Amino acid sequence: MNLEFSGQEVIAAPKDRVWSYINDPSSIASCLPDVQDVQVHDAHTFDASVRVAVGPVRGKLKFKILLDPQPDGEHMNMKISGGGFGSVVDLLAGADVKGDGASTTLDWHGTATMRGPVATVGGRVLDAQAKSVISTVFSNVKARLSGATA
Amino acid sequence: MTTTSGDRHAIGVSMKRKEDPRFIRGKGRYLDDIVLPGMLYLALVHSPYPHARILKIDKSAALALPGVKAVITGEDLVAAKLGWLPTFHGYDKQMVLAIGKVLYQYQEVAGVIAESREIAVDAAELVEVEYEPLGPVVDPFEAKLDKIVLRDDREAKTNHIYHWEVGEREATDAALEASEVRIQQRILSPRCHPAPLEPCGAIADMSAATGRLTVYMTSQAPHVHRTAFSLVTGIPEDKIHVISPDVGGGFGNKVPVYPGYVVATVASVILGVPVKWVETRTENLTTTGFARDYHMDVELGATREGKLTALKVSTTADHGAFDAAADPRKYPAGMFGIVSGSYEFPAAFAEVDAYFTNKAPGGIAYRCSFRVTEASYAIERSMDILARKLEMDPAELRSRNFVKKEQFPYATRLGFVYDSGDYEMTMRTTLEKVGYEQLRKEQAEKRARGELMGIGVSTFTEVVGAGPSKHFDILGLKMFDSAEIRIHPTGSGIVRAGTRHQGQGHETTWAQIVGEELGLDPQEILVEEGDTDTAPYGLGTYASRSTPVAGAAIAMAARRIRERARKIAAHLLEASEADVEWKDYAFGVKGVPGKSVTMKEVAFAAYTNLPPDTEPGLEATYYYDPPNMTFPYGTYVAVVDIDPDTGSVDVRRFLAVDDCGNVINPMIVEGQTHGGLTEGYAIAFMQEIKYDESGNNLNTNFTEYLVPTALESPYWETDRTVTPSPHHPLGAKGVGESSNVGSPQAFVNAVMDALAPLGVTHIDMPLTREKIWRAIREAKQ
Repeated sequence: MNLEFSGQEVIAAPKDRVWSYINDPSSIASCLPDVQDVQVHDAHTFDASVRVAVGPVRGKLKFKILLDPQPDGEHMNMKISGGGFGSVVDLLAGADVKGDGASTTLDWHGTATMRGPVATVGGRVLDAQAKSVISTVFSNVKARLSGATA
Repeated sequence: MTTTSGDRHAIGVSMKRKEDPRFIRGKGRYLDDIVLPGMLYLALVHSPYPHARILKIDKSAALALPGVKAVITGEDLVAAKLGWLPTFHGYDKQMVLAIGKVLYQYQEVAGVIAESREIAVDAAELVEVEYEPLGPVVDPFEAKLDKIVLRDDREAKTNHIYHWEVGEREATDAALEASEVRIQQRILSPRCHPAPLEPCGAIADMSAATGRLTVYMTSQAPHVHRTAFSLVTGIPEDKIHVISPDVGGGFGNKVPVYPGYVVATVASVILGVPVKWVETRTENLTTTGFARDYHMDVELGATREGKLTALKVSTTADHGAFDAAADPRKYPAGMFGIVSGSYEFPAAFAEVDAYFTNKAPGGIAYRCSFRVTEASYAIERSMDILARKLEMDPAELRSRNFVKKEQFPYATRLGFVYDSGDYEMTMRTTLEKVGYEQLRKEQAEKRARGELMGIGVSTFTEVVGAGPSKHFDILGLKMFDSAEIRIHPTGSGIVRAGTRHQGQGHETTWAQIVGEELGLDPQEILVEEGDTDTAPYGLGTYASRSTPVAGAAIAMAARRIRERARKIAAHLLEASEADVEWKDYAFGVKGVPGKSVTMKEVAFAAYTNLPPDTEPGLEATYYYDPPNMTFPYGTYVAVVDIDPDTGSVDVRRFLAVDDCGNVINPMIVEGQTHGGLTEGYAIAFMQEIKYDESGNNLNTNFTEYLVPTALESPYWETDRTVTPSPHHPLGAKGVGESSNVGSPQAFVNAVMDALAPLGVTHIDMPLTREKIWRAIREAKQ
């Protein structure tokens, strides 16, 4: 099944700071909700294990994450693929980063493809759950950069 | 045939089920209750992709987990020449574990054997499989286009599996063309699943000491499985012992051979210890035999007066990744020819084209004879659609077209010879009992007030009891069945049959047949099934074939015993054998009243006091090859009220009147009818195995695939008429599946009847509240 998401965060920090934060695998990894462990391989790739509990589907999903910053310094693409307990999740996310002096706007969007038990639950609760996971990532980015914790 | 307690009839009596004391006390012995010393456990790794190439399987992390003994892949099985299994009718083969490619989501990719079930399941998650996803084909109409060909292992580069047809195409087309009134409707019998409460499982135990393989398995056909194991593995059949312990429901799901059975066996052979595999609910729903998935284009022609002129049905069948349909060899579309139903057609034609898709394989007969439910649903829905077009009462349309009592035996245009029936009598009996005319009056009043009330009629005919061996076989094995009866010196006995009950009550009904035929107490007749070392060879229990075939074998074996007993009785009565007659459940001497011996006395004499030159003992075996199928039928009426605001359907009444010929145990027949009606209700309103466009199976557990409890089920009213089968030794026809075959269309016809004032003609099952609510909403806009 395919799910699509989008949202916006306005962060009270200058664009350069936001851009360098989202280019750092360790920083991004720390924003994943329910993250259990992270292995950073290089400047753009890292593995993360995330605990998931969606209805009867409970377990650990392991993801490979590739950060793909665009040379214009205004677009960040992220490819997340992985799975667990017989399920496969592929997520393509992108964020447009626009600065306005002291604040920065993150317009983000994502498409997820799910297969396996995760998808079965999908029709009922997964859409909301996945949306919540992704929006939490970006709201955590905002919170960290704004000095608050989430 | 009614009897009161105290008389000596055993047939026709509602004897309490002999097996129930152990079941209701929780003392049944099911597959998963069996624990053997040193036993290991198998868990399977499943594909999340519906269609993908396997690039790499890494076993190392799984093998490193303490307690893991082995990891087996498809390539390992290929090396052992066990990569593929033949399917039952022999026209296709099926991967045991995926080889090179996966063809449906949840397909078995590897097996992990470990010291405990928990370790095996954990280790299965550690098997790393790298896939290259391929585009899935989940719609048989898309499969038809051959844009993506799924099976590169087959010579023919097409998704088309077979074309089957029966009847006269040209004559039917011409008759349709000439018809005054015609209807045409695509009717889907959706993919559903039998979902027995006990899932499938096996314990394979290869004894290094004896060289003998014992396989405990959830099997509806243990002898067929023994032969299949022998053919596939090359192990001589005498070295294979299949035991099917108590089986918690089968409904056709436990007829095929599944990968878990084979992998457990291979593991036991390699490791030299017993290996158990028991599937989870999700594995049962996603990988084992599904049912139906027939898209049927039905055309009916008639005169303006409602006399049928022609029937044409063209079906697109979705068989999933392998053609693993459990159909007899010569009948790839099973007995779909029963689609002409209870009616006389001057011209008829039916064809089926089957296709591979990226879905689980199967196409088993879910509580029906092969493809009979689909056929019955198609004709009974179409008759209602035609009745509406003719503005005629659907019962009246049926009455005008029934095959008449005096026409039996009746050869249909589609290849069957119906043995007996009185359709008009059964329908009239039903309509009178349900108060049909009164219900129609009530409906007219409610319609005038804008209320949605519907009455659905189904007057179905089934074909069961495969079968005459000249027509039917599985893997080449002729579809006879068998019984062996031994009477002990004290007049009790044991009957063993080639069938295997899964809740049908054979331990009671088989004893009743022996009791009736030999005048013995059925309580003292032990029934044993499911052990290939002791039971005579039989083809098993499915397709309502137990009573029509094995039941007949038991009656015939008992009659053989009676003939042997006559000689001993003559000796005891000091009379000539020719003068001895069997009357009132005892041997007497013609013309000499008051002088008789019972079978119990004869049994004792068979071991203690024999006439000269007589072989001791009292036992017989019979292999019964039926001369024809049997054709149970019935009339079902459903009455529903629909809430137009929510689409909720209240099945206010449901009357099922079955005619299964003579009845052995009325209570068991009624119980079977209740079970089948509940399943039919679920199929009509709740159940479907759906796949999304990416090939995800969306109904993988009981929160997504609903099974009604007593709370959701309507109140069932049942009754019977009796038209005995002329060729069955007991006049019985079989009944276990009638209520599943006959009921879905009664529910759907009732709902469509309720929605008729809104102009809604047809909605495909399952009739969920949402679908009905949407139909009402659209009709009102």
